[in-house]
Amino acid sequence: MEKAEWIKKAIQSILDTDDEAAKEIAQKALEDGMDPLDMINEGFSEGIRRMGDLFDRGEVFLPGLLIGSEAMSAAVEILEAALPVEEQQKKLGVIVIGTVEGDIHDIGKGIIVTMLRVHGYEVHDLGRDIPIKEFVEKAREVKADVIGSSAMMTTTQLGQRRLEEALKEAGMRDKVKTMVGGAVATDHWAKRIGADMFGETPQDTINKLEKILN
Amino acid sequence: MAVINHQKPDRMPCFGANCTATYEQMEKVQAFWPKAHEDGEAMARLALASHTILGFDAIRVPFCQTFEARALGANIKPGKLPDNMEGIPGIDHPPAFRIDDTPVFPNDFLFRGHIPELLKAVSIVKKEVGDKVPVIGGIIGPFTLAGSLIDTIPLLKATFKAPDKLRPWLELGEKAGTALAKAIIDAGADIICCEDMTASPELIAPKTYKELELEFQTKQFDAICVPTILHICGKVDPIVKWMAQTRPDILSLDTKTNPKVVREKCGPDIVLLGGVEVATTLFLKGPDEIRKESEQAIADGIQILAPGCAVGPGTPTKNLLTMLEVAKEH
Repeated sequence: MEKAEWIKKAIQSILDTDDEAAKEIAQKALEDGMDPLDMINEGFSEGIRRMGDLFDRGEVFLPGLLIGSEAMSAAVEILEAALPVEEQQKKLGVIVIGTVEGDIHDIGKGIIVTMLRVHGYEVHDLGRDIPIKEFVEKAREVKADVIGSSAMMTTTQLGQRRLEEALKEAGMRDKVKTMVGGAVATDHWAKRIGADMFGETPQDTINKLEKILN
Repeated sequence: MAVINHQKPDRMPCFGANCTATYEQMEKVQAFWPKAHEDGEAMARLALASHTILGFDAIRVPFCQTFEARALGANIKPGKLPDNMEGIPGIDHPPAFRIDDTPVFPNDFLFRGHIPELLKAVSIVKKEVGDKVPVIGGIIGPFTLAGSLIDTIPLLKATFKAPDKLRPWLELGEKAGTALAKAIIDAGADIICCEDMTASPELIAPKTYKELELEFQTKQFDAICVPTILHICGKVDPIVKWMAQTRPDILSLDTKTNPKVVREKCGPDIVLLGGVEVATTLFLKGPDEIRKESEQAIADGIQILAPGCAVGPGTPTKNLLTMLEVAKEH
């Protein structure tokens, strides 16, 4: 099959939120001699980018994006395993991310993590209900460029402010950028606590990250 | 109550359909979390603060969303926040049930977990205020409760891949919420507020609301004999028509939803509650901005001035009092 056909099929499998088809396409494209990087960048990543756009426009909802991003991760995993080490993609930056202490909501964060990885970031996902000091320690350990914190509740959003303070106390604030997300975060909140950015949707986060890192 | 009965009230009412407890109120009435989540007397004392300190026109009990879930066997996580602050308890991970399990409604449901303390709190509050101030009892909607039991991610995926598997869980959620509502009414509540956060279009597709939740929420409200409030967070424009079809008396709106749109879609009969954004405006800004937002909401058709969702516990009392001041001018 022609490359264009494979790419089209890869994109469609994500738009159809069909994880079985996505995995099968990844496998068969490799067997057919397709370049894994092309399949990732032009195929599956493009599929999830389109899903992200549809989500931003309110034409696709969270369950669709969730299943689409899982389908993409499964396919990318197969393709990456076929990449020689020297061909693996250069990372755009290192990100440590987690949901703040007291908050166990992490659906949105899970999607952001997938999207950031697709766009070429190295992401260390700490998970949910994470104490502030773990963000700081992990960021130091992996020499993070960005720390992202998510809060979904008015009770837990103060954790995002504590993170800013903890980074200052640790003498690290000028070495990393910070981004906040979650249902209760806003641009106003980000400015007020001194965070570098607020990411509203996956696409918004990717766009703003590019700006603050360059 | 006049507003619910479509009579003209002396002035615009002001109260929260969701939790309005704050640290400042806890200090003043000496009733603190976590005790006020699990002890009937402390719960009643803190709930009363919304009337005695804030002057709000109704009193809501309780402050968290775990009563039904705990009684049905969900794992609960205490509301611990950084710096030893107390928040609201939530559902712990991993979930207690899997979607393929058989949901069971226990016969002793109303005697489980902290439900007896919640009922005690409602009766204490009612005894204290009598018929002067309406008491609102909170329950959780079928969809949200199902998510508390099997976890939200499997729930969301199932809406897409296997919606029929969710029906038994929604049935259990409806049954539990309705049973709790009836017990709360027997204990003295005048209004039932059903919070159904997970049924928001920010989480599920609008057609899932129509195809799954509409039926169960309607059944629930049909079984409740007192006035009802339905609260769903986020921008509910795509589902609000169906929300109204479940026949609540009042729709409680997040500030992301424009009341004008709701009025157009739902007709003249439903009462609209809402007005001020909680995370940024009420918590962080001051009286001037709160006044402005309240006036705008009223101009857009809000009939009961309220925080748009549960207030952050660090919200200053003066900000909440500003809302009441505005309501008194209308």
